[in-house]
Amino acid sequence: MGFEELSHTADVSIRAWGGDLDELFAAAAEGMFALMGAPRETGVGRKVEVAAGDLETLLVDWLSELLYLSEVNGELYDSFAVRVLPSWRLEAAIAGGKGSASGDKVKAVTYHGLCVEHADGRYAATVVFDT
Amino acid sequence: MAFDLRVLRQIGAVLYEIPTSFREEMRVPARLYADATILEAAAQDESLEQLANVAWLPGIVGYALAMPDIHQGYGFPIGGVAATDTRDGVISPGGVGYDINCGVRLLSTNLDVGEVRAQLPALMDAITAAIPAGLGREGSISLQKGGLTEAMEGGAQWAVGAGYGEREDVEHCEERGRMAGAGAGAVSVKARERGRDQLGTLGSGNHFVELGEVAEVYDEKSADAFGLRPGQLVLQVHSGSRGLGHQVCTDSVRRFQDVARREGYKLPDRELVCAPLQSEEGQEYLAAMSAAANFAWANRQIMTHMLRRALENVLAGGARRMRLKVVYDAAHNVAKLERHEVGGRPLELCVHRKGATRAFPPGHPAVPEDYRAVGQPVLVPGDMGTASYVLRGTETAMRESFGSCCHGAGRKLSRAAAKRQVNAQELRQRLESLGIIVRAGSNAGLAEEAPDAYKDIHRVVDVVHSAGLALRVAQLRPVGVMKG
Repeated sequence: MGFEELSHTADVSIRAWGGDLDELFAAAAEGMFALMGAPRETGVGRKVEVAAGDLETLLVDWLSELLYLSEVNGELYDSFAVRVLPSWRLEAAIAGGKGSASGDKVKAVTYHGLCVEHADGRYAATVVFDT
Repeated sequence: MAFDLRVLRQIGAVLYEIPTSFREEMRVPARLYADATILEAAAQDESLEQLANVAWLPGIVGYALAMPDIHQGYGFPIGGVAATDTRDGVISPGGVGYDINCGVRLLSTNLDVGEVRAQLPALMDAITAAIPAGLGREGSISLQKGGLTEAMEGGAQWAVGAGYGEREDVEHCEERGRMAGAGAGAVSVKARERGRDQLGTLGSGNHFVELGEVAEVYDEKSADAFGLRPGQLVLQVHSGSRGLGHQVCTDSVRRFQDVARREGYKLPDRELVCAPLQSEEGQEYLAAMSAAANFAWANRQIMTHMLRRALENVLAGGARRMRLKVVYDAAHNVAKLERHEVGGRPLELCVHRKGATRAFPPGHPAVPEDYRAVGQPVLVPGDMGTASYVLRGTETAMRESFGSCCHGAGRKLSRAAAKRQVNAQELRQRLESLGIIVRAGSNAGLAEEAPDAYKDIHRVVDVVHSAGLALRVAQLRPVGVMKG
């Protein structure tokens, strides 16, 4: 699993991949937080649950939820254990610490150019953020 | 792959059209105000495709429009304007943007740059200390219980009533800083949580506070009406609705995916998702968007107050007392319910302006009384190293673009490319050698906002001036910039 930053006029995007959906979703989260910077402390753990109507929306909702938690709690996360469940739901345990974005300030997760592909035995997705 | 420009028809010297024959889904033609250079650049990203997509919106009237600062956005291109019939047309959050009521406020002072030049560094330090910047909430003002609701429903008027500023400040603000129809109840808990600790903060990215000088006046009569004169010290604040607005947009883009399914919309782009304005969801977004817009106006009003105090402190005991007045404050990401004449008949329209500003003509009742003979001030901030412009709205804009105009220079380089290509240290030195004092949160943040990352503001303004959408009144040059 892994991710990389792509270039995009005006805003920022990443491509993430993994052997299965759990890895893909974790990689996408790592990619988003890699843009923002590392937490300056540790010791925060949270449980997250998301439900959506399709896979792409689930990915956007997952990342949007993380962004919301990060902003209202003044935290950054760097570890994600994700379980994608049937009917476009997921449960995750995330960890990190207090901190605020020192890199890109991600404002929102968009549906722009959003796609989740499954090819050659792995899942990949491109996500564009508004910064 | 670049857009094939042979598809376009040239309608006027700086006006091009994508005909409906280009794509079956287009309900109306699309029009772009541009010169040849801007057109070439627009063909390099998805902005023209996005413009053609906007022409699909159910209930769209006239044309899908784009201004010369056009660049790729989400759903709508930045610089996009689209009006839909309020009876049976849609409202689209992508036509407003994530940063609802990102906008700019221009303030004039009674001082000349020449007489305070020695104090500019101290003024910039005071500005930096007064306005918390960056993402997040440190340093925001603390709200009394219920204060957030009041900010969302009362906007800049609430802020003045709460002690932030002078009553006169709102008279020169679009909507007098408060959109009617705002419903705090339509704003989600998450959005409120994001916004609660962010009042009084600047935000990041391309948000800034800038000290400037009126470098040139093109139209003395209008400049006079606006309170501007050559050599004058002025202040610009560029900011939006912070996390609250971003969440309102996120929430509605999400919610409208289900509405689109229900209505059977074949969305050319998921970010172009929309709902009938007269549906429950459409009305709720309108109410939430208005609340977020008011939050942004409250924010600019609070920052005005803080800046006023900080600057007056620096100059206290000096030869002259500083007086800061609002020249104008306009949104450039918003949807407004407005009456426009279409085909000789008055229609109630929902005018989406995404990276575009309102530019109402002389005589229009929405223009402040003391400006009405001249027209609405149109504020077009440029990039960090160069100029900004003040223009005035016209009848031509009213006829051709639903009373709309461009909002700024428009990006040319992505943030990632700008960070790679621009050396922040060199940039800082280059700006300082131009006599511009720079205060920025981070070097990377500075590089992303480098002038090289933006289109040429003079070119953009040339286009809108020669198209007659707005006419040049004055040019401002930065003397100090504070970036989030």
